[in-house]
Amino acid sequence: MLKDKIQAALAPLNLAQVSDGDYSKTGYHLEVAAAPGQMPAVAQALLEAGCFLESLTAVDLRESFTLVYHFASFDELCRTVVRASLAKETQEAQPPTISRVYPGADWYEREVYDLFGIKFAGHPNLKRLLLPEDADFHPLLKDFGAEPKND
Amino acid sequence: MIELGIEEKSYTLNLGPQHPSTHGVLRVLLTMDGEYITKAEPVIGYGHRGHEHMAENRNYQQFLPNMGRVDYLHALAYNQGYCMAVEKLLGLTVPERGEFIRVILSELNRISSHLVWIGAYLLDLGAFTPILYAFDDREHILDLLDRITGSRLTYCFYRFGGAPRDLDEEFITGARAFIKRLRSRFGDYESLVTKNVIFINRTRNVGIITREQAVKYGLTGPTLRGSGIAYDIRKSEPYSAYPAFDFQIPIGSKGDVFDRYLVRILEMEQSLRIVEQALDKLPNGPIMADKVPKRLKPAAGEVYQAVESARGEFGCYIVSQGDIKPYRIKLRVPSFGNLSILPEVAVDTLVADLVAILGSMDLVIPEIDR
Repeated sequence: MLKDKIQAALAPLNLAQVSDGDYSKTGYHLEVAAAPGQMPAVAQALLEAGCFLESLTAVDLRESFTLVYHFASFDELCRTVVRASLAKETQEAQPPTISRVYPGADWYEREVYDLFGIKFAGHPNLKRLLLPEDADFHPLLKDFGAEPKND
Repeated sequence: MIELGIEEKSYTLNLGPQHPSTHGVLRVLLTMDGEYITKAEPVIGYGHRGHEHMAENRNYQQFLPNMGRVDYLHALAYNQGYCMAVEKLLGLTVPERGEFIRVILSELNRISSHLVWIGAYLLDLGAFTPILYAFDDREHILDLLDRITGSRLTYCFYRFGGAPRDLDEEFITGARAFIKRLRSRFGDYESLVTKNVIFINRTRNVGIITREQAVKYGLTGPTLRGSGIAYDIRKSEPYSAYPAFDFQIPIGSKGDVFDRYLVRILEMEQSLRIVEQALDKLPNGPIMADKVPKRLKPAAGEVYQAVESARGEFGCYIVSQGDIKPYRIKLRVPSFGNLSILPEVAVDTLVADLVAILGSMDLVIPEIDR
């Protein structure tokens, strides 16, 4: 079973949470919580287990961000969600990129940077993806558009 | 005579954003060494409308019409994916007949999407006739879908809990006639295109994608299956009424452009088989779930629902905080992942081959830009 294989591969990483998901309710077989700094190691373990990166996104929880990584496999049905909580105050603490493990993450991380302003450390080409290069806002932040217009 | 240095030998070529072979506003920045591409960088976002931002500012029903505008060619798969995600969040169960209606319409829509692709793609490669055949066939599907859904392109048909309108006799007769008609046309497609030596020379051994690359870039759909990986959400993660039908997942052997073409051609026959079986087995009963609340307020939680669109895996990730509006919706679109492999595949090819490779990915740019 792929699920056991993934669990075994993640065990040495000392992650905050590796537990079974409720597939019929959420669509996840495995729910994992990690620190942002652990993501390259987690991605490497999942790549070796044969998973591909389904999607990478972020959620603005006002006090903090959550980076959400979805992994699935071409061979066996097992969706793994990895959540990494990111404090907003510590701007210097940038989550490391996983684009060296999954080159496909390059664009996903650029999209997260574009829409949320989260910078990924070590990203080879971190610039705007969907919005114009001279845009000075990040539209998926919850306080975007909250200020009253002065005109 | 002027001596050229190394740097001056290479030059930059803009493919797009207004170029007939990009099928939308996609720009590929090419660095050329003579006729060969040394670097290709897709520049996207020209059609960014902020669908994900819109989702956070309207309630669940109000966001439904957006789905037909993300991927306009296979809009019903997006309708289905989003409806299923919200249904999962609400704990709604769709009645069997409702699921069958969804499968029939989504599969017809998939065929129409593939037909557009075949016509447009062969036009890119310089063959003019196939688009006339393909659009002729597609017209029959549009008429059928128009009859039930009321629109011909940007469908917004499924509802949370089922489908709002039932199939009638005329639709069923028309769909059966269409199945017969399209099957009689496959021979034409094969002799016109699949066995055409010019087409084969343009596509064989061009743009090969290996399994390792596919895993690293998260490819899905026919672009992936051309590389010999039988990953199709309809089989790998069965949803809706798909487990009730007997169909195969066509795969390629080499992973080149020709294989991706062949996978789509073979997929149309499999979709016809699904529609045929669904029409035969169509159960009686309600088409909508009972007691769907008018005011939807799902409990806090999150859900990920994947469906197979004509281009690959469409994933709908919804975070609810118990409000009438979704807190966050992420649309995982197949063309996004599929296009991200281009810089790797395009290196050391000719511009003419790049057109063949780009087209073989069946990109829908508004889907990438969202």
